[in-house]
Amino acid sequence: MMSLRKLPSTECQSLCHKVVDELCGREPPRIVDYGDTWSLGEWVGLTDCLSSLFRKTVGENCSDEEVLAGLRDVGPGYGETVLSVLEARREEIRQVLLKRTHLMSSTTLQDFDWQLKLALSSDKISSLQTPLLNLGLYVRENGALRSVAIEMGREELNTLISSLEAANKVVLQLK
Amino acid sequence: MEEVDKILIHALRQSGTDVAEDIQSVKQFTSELIVEAVVRCVRVINPALGGGLSPSLPPGMSARFRVGMGLAQACQDLGYKGEIGYQTFLYSNEPEIRSLLMFLVEKLPRESAEASDQPAGKSVVLQRAIAAKIKAQLALPWLPPNCRLPLLCKTQSAGPSLSFRAQPLSLPYSTKSTGKAASKELRAYQREVLLPVTAQPSHQGAVVASLLEQHASELSAAQEWDSEWNSQGLLSRLTPEEYRSRKMTRLHKRIEEQLRSATSEPSPESSSGVPGSSSDLAQLLLSFQGSAPGDHLLPKGTHFTHTQKFTFTQDPGVLVEQMAAVASSMPLGGQSEGEVQASQQAELASLEEQLQQVALRIDRLTDHMKQMNLTVAQVTNELKDRELGNQEKEDTMQVKKQTVDLLPDAENNLAKLQMLVEASAKRVVSLAAQWEKHRAPLIDEHRRLKELCTNQDMESSRQLSEIKDLHEKIRESAEKAKKKETFYKQLISELENLPKDVSRSAYTLRILEIVGNIKKQKEEITKILSDTKELQKEINNLTGKLDRTFAVTDELVFKDAKKDESVRKSYKYLAALHENCNQLIQTIEDTGTILREIRDLEEQIETESGNKTVANLERILEDNKAIRAENLALASKVREG
Repeated sequence: MMSLRKLPSTECQSLCHKVVDELCGREPPRIVDYGDTWSLGEWVGLTDCLSSLFRKTVGENCSDEEVLAGLRDVGPGYGETVLSVLEARREEIRQVLLKRTHLMSSTTLQDFDWQLKLALSSDKISSLQTPLLNLGLYVRENGALRSVAIEMGREELNTLISSLEAANKVVLQLK
Repeated sequence: MEEVDKILIHALRQSGTDVAEDIQSVKQFTSELIVEAVVRCVRVINPALGGGLSPSLPPGMSARFRVGMGLAQACQDLGYKGEIGYQTFLYSNEPEIRSLLMFLVEKLPRESAEASDQPAGKSVVLQRAIAAKIKAQLALPWLPPNCRLPLLCKTQSAGPSLSFRAQPLSLPYSTKSTGKAASKELRAYQREVLLPVTAQPSHQGAVVASLLEQHASELSAAQEWDSEWNSQGLLSRLTPEEYRSRKMTRLHKRIEEQLRSATSEPSPESSSGVPGSSSDLAQLLLSFQGSAPGDHLLPKGTHFTHTQKFTFTQDPGVLVEQMAAVASSMPLGGQSEGEVQASQQAELASLEEQLQQVALRIDRLTDHMKQMNLTVAQVTNELKDRELGNQEKEDTMQVKKQTVDLLPDAENNLAKLQMLVEASAKRVVSLAAQWEKHRAPLIDEHRRLKELCTNQDMESSRQLSEIKDLHEKIRESAEKAKKKETFYKQLISELENLPKDVSRSAYTLRILEIVGNIKKQKEEITKILSDTKELQKEINNLTGKLDRTFAVTDELVFKDAKKDESVRKSYKYLAALHENCNQLIQTIEDTGTILREIRDLEEQIETESGNKTVANLERILEDNKAIRAENLALASKVREG
């Protein structure tokens, strides 16, 4: 955390914002931009430290004084900078943390994509006209992203949808 | 007839017959053309039946005859009711051919016509469009990327196969953020640091996907809230905020119950162990996160993690102290490595032992502490009970002390006391009266308000149901509007796809004209009919009059005729006159019928002459001669052979 002192407090704000961006699932800050200031080890430690600071502060609802006390050693001005960033992004960070808390399973769906295709003909039948659905699921399994691709005909899609609806019903009953 | 012929020729051309341009009516059809047209039609109507028929007439007469017979048979098989035979084709006459061709054209399958007549389904239109597009794209040659024209880039580049990956976006005007006024820092961040939305995703392709995803999630959230509010929220008669908070507390309660029920089972086993149920809960939470990687574990401060920290923070502290002690007692080198290692091992063993001991001690201490806590709680309770008892006793002692003070002057004090009691009784009565006075209007007021309240309740429930009805109606009409819109679009696209056939409008115009003509003719016919009726009536009148006049005159003259000779003569004349007139009328009527017959005959002659009888007869004679010649030739061949 002490290495933050190497950066002027004006740039410190943009760095903090970028760390929060990474937390929210957007582009992380790049070491290329700060290569002159820190070594790789320092850089990793610093970003980890900042990110955990933000998470902890928002998650445990710490008061401003606690944050300031934690950053007192770094130098004057830095604490206020971090605090202003925190104040601006508090809601966003809270949403992200809530979302992560929802993912209480070893495998979670990260994203999905689908394509509807119409098979006009096959090697045996000249006019097939069968709709097919390509479903791509991007799944985070034990931290690693994995993509699952499924091709379904009309009946298979119907069974999938009905089972998903049944699952949704269970979720609704929990509410 | 011209129109009919045009339609017939058009249909025949569509069925594949090669009708020359200059042929305008059925009258101009030659035998060859007729045979070809009929064969093509039969083939289209029933391929099995028409397969054995050849569309061209052979040169040999007997072969021609056979072809004619075959065609006639085929037409009868198709269900033609009229007279038909080989002569129909070989020695054609116009009306027969026309009726035959009309029959065949009507029999032609209409599937193509029907397909374009009926409103084609949306899917059919789409499939046709897709097929057309693919055909067009397949017709284009593939080109290497450098040679592509911009038109081709669209269909041949890998662009369309980009996957749809969304990334989270940060938007200032998002429904996810609550309605609170933005703080100063937030506004500064949005103004100065936040990138425009197109620059936020890491690669350009994700912009559209992310935007769509964001929009869809917000929209679905809003819709869900809408439907829930309409179905349940309105009925609960709360403001939206109250409803939300109530739901939140309900959910909290539910989750707590679930967690409690999940933890209640294992707690009996671990009650002997050091960690209480709270750390079990923490473990449970950890197991929820499952095998998620470390960096995904939250440093989020739940109650459970706090307690976890409390129960375990002593260990590191103790450990650190011990480590420091060990470090200070470490010899400062000068020994060989083996010794160092051995001593380290020994140290390690002893340290581990110490650690275990410490852990055991901690266990014991925690147990002890728990017991102590329990006893402290018990003692505090006891203390409270005792204090309460003391208070009561003090109160009773006070009262007794006062009575003892009053005892010496007993009578006086008794009287005083009685007076006091009476006065207070009086006061109580008066107070009750006053209370009664106040109570009545208050109760009335209360009743009134209650009534008002129920009225309002009823009113509001009525309005609620009205609102619900309105919602339902709004939804229904929106759906209807949507359906109609899509139908309208479909129809428009179909209209555009329809072949711009000129003959169609011409036909309709023509049909309208014909209908108009028929109407006019009908009017004229009715006029003539009424004229005829009038004439008939007049004639009847006149005949009646004539009969009566004749009878009167006859009587008069007959009376006088007995007396006078000249009168008798005139009577004879009268009779003759009457006779002659009757004859005259008869003759006129006869002339009329004969004229009508003549006209009929003339018409018959016309139709017969239309049949080209003479020419046909001549052709038959010639064909007869040809057949005889063929027969002779065949016979001579037989003789020679």
